[in-house]
Amino acid sequence: MIKNYFKIAWRNLLKNKGYSIINVGGLALGMAVTLIIGLWIYDELTYNNYYGNKDKIAQVFQSQTFNGQTGTGPAIPLPLEPALRDGYADYFKHIMMSSWTQDSYIKYKESNISRPGNYMQPIAPEFLNLEILKGEKEGLREINSIMLSESTANALFGDEDPIGKVVKISNQYDLMVTSVYKDIPFNNAFHDTDYIIPWDNYVARWEWIRESLDNWGNNSFQLFVQIADNTTFENVTNAIIDVKKNADEEVEEFNPRIFLLPMEDWHLRSNFENGKQVGGRIKYVWLFAIIGFFVLILACINFMNLSTARSEKRAKEVGIRKSIGSQKGQLVYQFLSESFLVVLFAFVVAVLIVLLSLNGFNELARKEISFPWQNANFWLISLGFVLFTALLAGSYPALYLSSFRPVEVLKGTFQTGKYSGLPRKILVVLQFTVSVAFIIGTFIVMQQINHAKNRPVGYEKEGLIQIPTFAEEFSGKTDLMRNEFIKSGAVIEMATSSSPTTRIWSNRSGFTWEGKPEGFQEDLAWTEVSSEYAKTLNLKIVEGRDFSREFASDSLGVLINETAKRYLGMENPVGKFLKDSDEEDPNPPLKIIGVVEDMIAQSPYEPVKQGVYVYDREDNFSYYNLRLNPNKSASQNIAIIERVFKQHFPDIPFQYEFVDEEYGEKFAAEERIGSLSGIFTALAILISCLGLFGLTSFVAEQRTKEIGVRKVLGATVFNVWNMLSKDFLKLVIISCFIAVPIAYYVMNGWLQEYPYRVILKWWIFALAMLGAMGITLLTVSFQAIRAAKQNPVKSLRTE
Amino acid sequence: MIQIQNLKKSFRTEEVETLALNNVNLKVEEGEFVAIMGPSGCGKSTLLNIIGMLDNPTEGSYNFAGHEVAGLKESQRTQLRKGNLGFVFQSFNLIDELTVFENVELPLIYLKMSKSERKEKVMAVLERMKIAHRRNHFPQQLSGGQQQRVAISRAVVTNPKLILADEPTGNLDSKNGIEVMNLLTELNQEGTTIVMVTHSDRDSHYAHRVVNLFDGQIVTESQNRAIGATV
Repeated sequence: MIKNYFKIAWRNLLKNKGYSIINVGGLALGMAVTLIIGLWIYDELTYNNYYGNKDKIAQVFQSQTFNGQTGTGPAIPLPLEPALRDGYADYFKHIMMSSWTQDSYIKYKESNISRPGNYMQPIAPEFLNLEILKGEKEGLREINSIMLSESTANALFGDEDPIGKVVKISNQYDLMVTSVYKDIPFNNAFHDTDYIIPWDNYVARWEWIRESLDNWGNNSFQLFVQIADNTTFENVTNAIIDVKKNADEEVEEFNPRIFLLPMEDWHLRSNFENGKQVGGRIKYVWLFAIIGFFVLILACINFMNLSTARSEKRAKEVGIRKSIGSQKGQLVYQFLSESFLVVLFAFVVAVLIVLLSLNGFNELARKEISFPWQNANFWLISLGFVLFTALLAGSYPALYLSSFRPVEVLKGTFQTGKYSGLPRKILVVLQFTVSVAFIIGTFIVMQQINHAKNRPVGYEKEGLIQIPTFAEEFSGKTDLMRNEFIKSGAVIEMATSSSPTTRIWSNRSGFTWEGKPEGFQEDLAWTEVSSEYAKTLNLKIVEGRDFSREFASDSLGVLINETAKRYLGMENPVGKFLKDSDEEDPNPPLKIIGVVEDMIAQSPYEPVKQGVYVYDREDNFSYYNLRLNPNKSASQNIAIIERVFKQHFPDIPFQYEFVDEEYGEKFAAEERIGSLSGIFTALAILISCLGLFGLTSFVAEQRTKEIGVRKVLGATVFNVWNMLSKDFLKLVIISCFIAVPIAYYVMNGWLQEYPYRVILKWWIFALAMLGAMGITLLTVSFQAIRAAKQNPVKSLRTE
Repeated sequence: MIQIQNLKKSFRTEEVETLALNNVNLKVEEGEFVAIMGPSGCGKSTLLNIIGMLDNPTEGSYNFAGHEVAGLKESQRTQLRKGNLGFVFQSFNLIDELTVFENVELPLIYLKMSKSERKEKVMAVLERMKIAHRRNHFPQQLSGGQQQRVAISRAVVTNPKLILADEPTGNLDSKNGIEVMNLLTELNQEGTTIVMVTHSDRDSHYAHRVVNLFDGQIVTESQNRAIGATV
């Protein structure tokens, strides 16, 4: 029986090639979108799956409140580790301190490469579930050891055996390679960790860290834990929440709360707003899940509409089968197996589309998704997906077609009733509602990105590069290098800074100033710079003056930004002082010498943070900032700069970043969402139009005789076109009026997340509506005009 | 075999109620060949559809081979119809997407017969109808007469007790028409009961008995002299 069904289905497909292409093509496109989104979602949801004990691992987080605003983050103070180890040992299986992931130069013989990695406590190999390829599992026992990822070891040693070899880190100290571990897969935290150095080495190397050992106020470290098997994250959090508050009364006023963020949440739910966990990337997972579902529905609607529209053609077959002895159930089954065949066919095409587009998609989405050929679950889910789609697309046509009464269809008195087209119309409206809403959504995302991009940044980011200077060698050479670079003709000005231009790495509190309100808990972005910082960046001085080499006293000077001026409540800040609030051992007071225009260093969607630019007395800089010579090409300038750099730092790899490109990175997430939703919108429209195209050709075919008669009676091509297009246009206009309020509501909600946002204008909606109508007319016209141009004699003779 | 008593069928369209059959009483014995005649719209096709269990009467009783049919649900009617009835239509009603062989095979598939058995039966009936050489053709590749022979093959392949023919020669020229009527007569002579609706006086002469319908009622019944007469 099933063979018979498939036979008929197959012959029907072949017989109506046009419809079949629209049907299979539309479904395949929709399924491809859903499939690719499904792979993306799977990838997101399986983040950190590399870690077998994922459900027991957490990172220690901290919330603190400044001036009623609660900030939450993973930075914790050092004494927390012994406090947990000593006071709460029963709650944990492992406790592991870690530095932030940072780039270091690793040198062996002639090769010197820069890689990211961490300083971690010796439990790291077990904690991170590392697969040791060479050397010992406990590779961090000796303070001067280093573990390398496979790819790093290969890059450094080639075919040589790395174990026991000595490498030089940042040109400063020697470490012995004790083991090589398999690279942690892309889709996991610590994927970037290409080397691990013992934590004790970190502590021994830096004085500021040793000073932090008993300092509850310096939140500069990371702490990871694996909780004991018999407890829960919640229990542990409840136990440790006040550990910091109880330990140090100096930090009590900020109400520090210590808690665990489970590994499960690191990737998708790591955003906090005023102390509350508010999701994160998970919103994109939902967004794309919804898009994928809707695109699939659009494609299924095509199938439903084309199948039921062509019902007259199938009606006779239904009648015959019924009179011969087919039950209604058997007919439902038959039509469902037909849609299963079509969907299966479409699925194969969809898999092809996915295979062809996966590379491009990975690039766009910054993923390393591969097609899961070997994953049995994938095929099971796919089978379910095909069945689900076949049911979704096929059940309405199956029920509709199988309910025909044989007497009517066989006697030729069969007529699709007055309202039989209504469900079809509703489905078309649904399709275009989704499409128009997608169009509007994409428009607004793009607009918001452009809006933020066009926001004045406060400095000149073009023609500016930054060179990382993390090694000790750079100390004490700033003036020399500035002279050398300027002398070379490639650079017109240079300054150092403790953070890159596009970031703020340090925030400080603990100041007093004239007129500071009682109990005010300040929080200032802190950047240490050399004298020519404002000049190099073309940062405008709006009050007072810039740093000057002519005043020795400027080494205790500070520039503040306009927001800081308001934040500190100073009418005339120039000449006023920021004093250290530590009365016993104060740092010297800082004199405000000028106010600079606000510059965006953090999110372009947020207000600029109150910040101070302090003269760098102790060479705390991390970057050279170079203003390139505008009279030479960038590549010429870079070549010269590299030559000068190599003369002075022959052992350090030359690295640089264009500041405007780094700044552009701030839009990467939104741009990715923008371009992905743009592509999905385009596909959604394409699918809807395919369906519309099919319906028009059906209507044109159905009304051939009517069109013929009308033409004989004097109708022009325009009259006929008008008659055929009007019906569809009406549906699309209805869709627009449903889509606009929905899109407005959703997108307005989305925009609320951005303090700096575009204002929704009516014309965006109007444009989207006009666009949708235009596309509809184009789609419909092709068939309508073709039908209208037919010779009426011919169409009348077909009767 | 068929016993119809006080059968009524009415159609309702918004405000008008049309009485298509009014108090019809009809009895068809096993092995009979009955022709139903009458002008257009007199209700003969409605009667045939009810006899064929494609439609339900509004009132009255219809007994088929000992089963009361009136009031049965569609699925029950289908069950009763399966294998017992064969239909021959004026417009052949073959499925365009299936070949001659597959069209004839279809009712056997619904009877869940095994493949080899199906093949045997289909081939036998196609041979008999002299259409076996065209078994792999699609209906549109055949002449009208050939198509009707396929349709008859399909109607008889299950060895039904009753064949219902709705103007079986209506779309055929006289030569093919006569051929079709001869086939039906032959089947009748082998024991199959036939009820046929027709406009054609010539065709009605093949029947044992002619029932004349007018405005939904049987007006006359006449016995043909010779059973299985040929014209």
